[in-house]
Amino acid sequence: MLYEAIIVSLIVIATVGGAELLGMTMLNRPIVIGPLVGLALGDIQSGVLIGASLEAVFMGVVNIGGASAAEPGLATAVGTAFAITLGGGAGVALPLAIPIGILGLQVKTLLYVGVIGFFAPVFDRLAAEGKERKIVLLHYGAWVLQWGLYGLLPFIGILAGSDAINAFVKAIPQVIMNGLNICGGLLPAVGMAMLLKLLWDKKIYAFFFLGFILVAYLKLPLVALAVLGAIIAVTIAQRDYQLSQLTKKMNAAPATAAPAGNAGQMDTEEEDFFDE
Amino acid sequence: MSKMTNVSKDEKKMLRKMFWRAFTLYTAVTPAKQGASGFCYSMMPFIDHFYKDAKQKKDALVRHMAYFNTTIPLSTFIMGIAASMEKENSKNKDFDANSINAIKSSLMGPLAGIGDSFFWGVLRVIAAGIAVSMGQSGNILAPIVFLLIFNIPTILVRYYGTFLGYTLGSTYIEKIYQSGLIHILTKAASIVGLIMVGGMTSQMVKFTTTISMSMKGESVLKLQGMLDQIFVGIVPLGITLLCFYLLNKKVSINYLIFGVIGLSILLSVFHIA
Repeated sequence: MLYEAIIVSLIVIATVGGAELLGMTMLNRPIVIGPLVGLALGDIQSGVLIGASLEAVFMGVVNIGGASAAEPGLATAVGTAFAITLGGGAGVALPLAIPIGILGLQVKTLLYVGVIGFFAPVFDRLAAEGKERKIVLLHYGAWVLQWGLYGLLPFIGILAGSDAINAFVKAIPQVIMNGLNICGGLLPAVGMAMLLKLLWDKKIYAFFFLGFILVAYLKLPLVALAVLGAIIAVTIAQRDYQLSQLTKKMNAAPATAAPAGNAGQMDTEEEDFFDE
Repeated sequence: MSKMTNVSKDEKKMLRKMFWRAFTLYTAVTPAKQGASGFCYSMMPFIDHFYKDAKQKKDALVRHMAYFNTTIPLSTFIMGIAASMEKENSKNKDFDANSINAIKSSLMGPLAGIGDSFFWGVLRVIAAGIAVSMGQSGNILAPIVFLLIFNIPTILVRYYGTFLGYTLGSTYIEKIYQSGLIHILTKAASIVGLIMVGGMTSQMVKFTTTISMSMKGESVLKLQGMLDQIFVGIVPLGITLLCFYLLNKKVSINYLIFGVIGLSILLSVFHIA
């Protein structure tokens, strides 16, 4: 297990840490990490399948303003590694990934607050002293420290935990395994709900249902749906823009156009509309 | 980009440097100051160029070691504006240096609002949705497609944002705000996002009940068939909306996840699915 432990730990540092180093380029998502772990452990096919199903589960789990529920990167890396070495696919990866993801977030927060947090005043002091070189050094040094420590987590977990995990997975009764498979289908609902919370607006929520029936009944592929969505959005944005221009015109010349109150305003709106 | 003509060669070089450095904005992120060190690091080429005096240089470093937090793809735009203001400050003695941080902090909130919903809520969701449906059929190109769909537009925004911020300066962004254009763009992006989330709810949230009634060994009634006749995907849609309702009631996400796990096991124990 030493090879697995080292390689998975390196993948976690390169992807989860790498995403922070390279400006949130989404290297830390399950759909990327699953195949990478699969590639390293010689089963890229399983890696892709597990990565895809974990991405569906963790889709809504995204770090916005520091609030999150789990750390999907560590969860996927360790879950996929165990699923491939023990055999069993997404059914094994999922029940492992969720607790690991929650643990991962706790450790990440601990490092963020309890270790890197102490460097904030050091940065201030270096800036006041004008020591640019040291700022740059600490800027990258803090990354090495944080992710070096975080990388120990999968390393120790895989090295020390594999026997326990193996016994645990073998001991799961069939009815629970079946339940976990059902769970794999239902959990994306939580992710979708989190995305809805980000996007929901009273004026436009109907579009959620439009997307739903287009796929449920017309079986549109998601690529087609994305293009269709873009067309609708562009059309509506153009109309909104015209409306805002109209309102501006009305506000610019209210005195001349609307001596008779509301009725007069209505008229100018109509005239402007036809002038366009 | 017509205004690009009055940007000198040196400035272009520094802007490119800033673009690259901005990738590391959150490399040493701290709770107290978020991306302060990354912002300061990105501004260094300009600080070194504009200020030869040690005192002024220190002041500028301290200025940009202030709290900074926004959606990272839009950070270079703010950096561009800050850099153009530093240039003004280095030339004009009457310039109020405090206004630089005032502009930074007045922009980062609203830009994070648009950026979070556009880059995380829409673009990432489109990329992930397409990649997941590829990955579920075992296509190993899924991660590459995911990274390309997300990162090509994002990196373009970063690159052009750097130059745009520098050339347009802070007055222009205020104009855009007042014109309401930001609001229109946010709404349009949210529409695409909602359509995609609706489609993905149908495709990724899966539930099939196995309940059926049989007579003389022949199955006469399949519950799933009946459910499908009422509305295809009624259970996944219902569960998603229930989760959304509970989230709005401030139920913690972890409770929701464990709730769904518990529910699934119960469904299995009672042979419902």
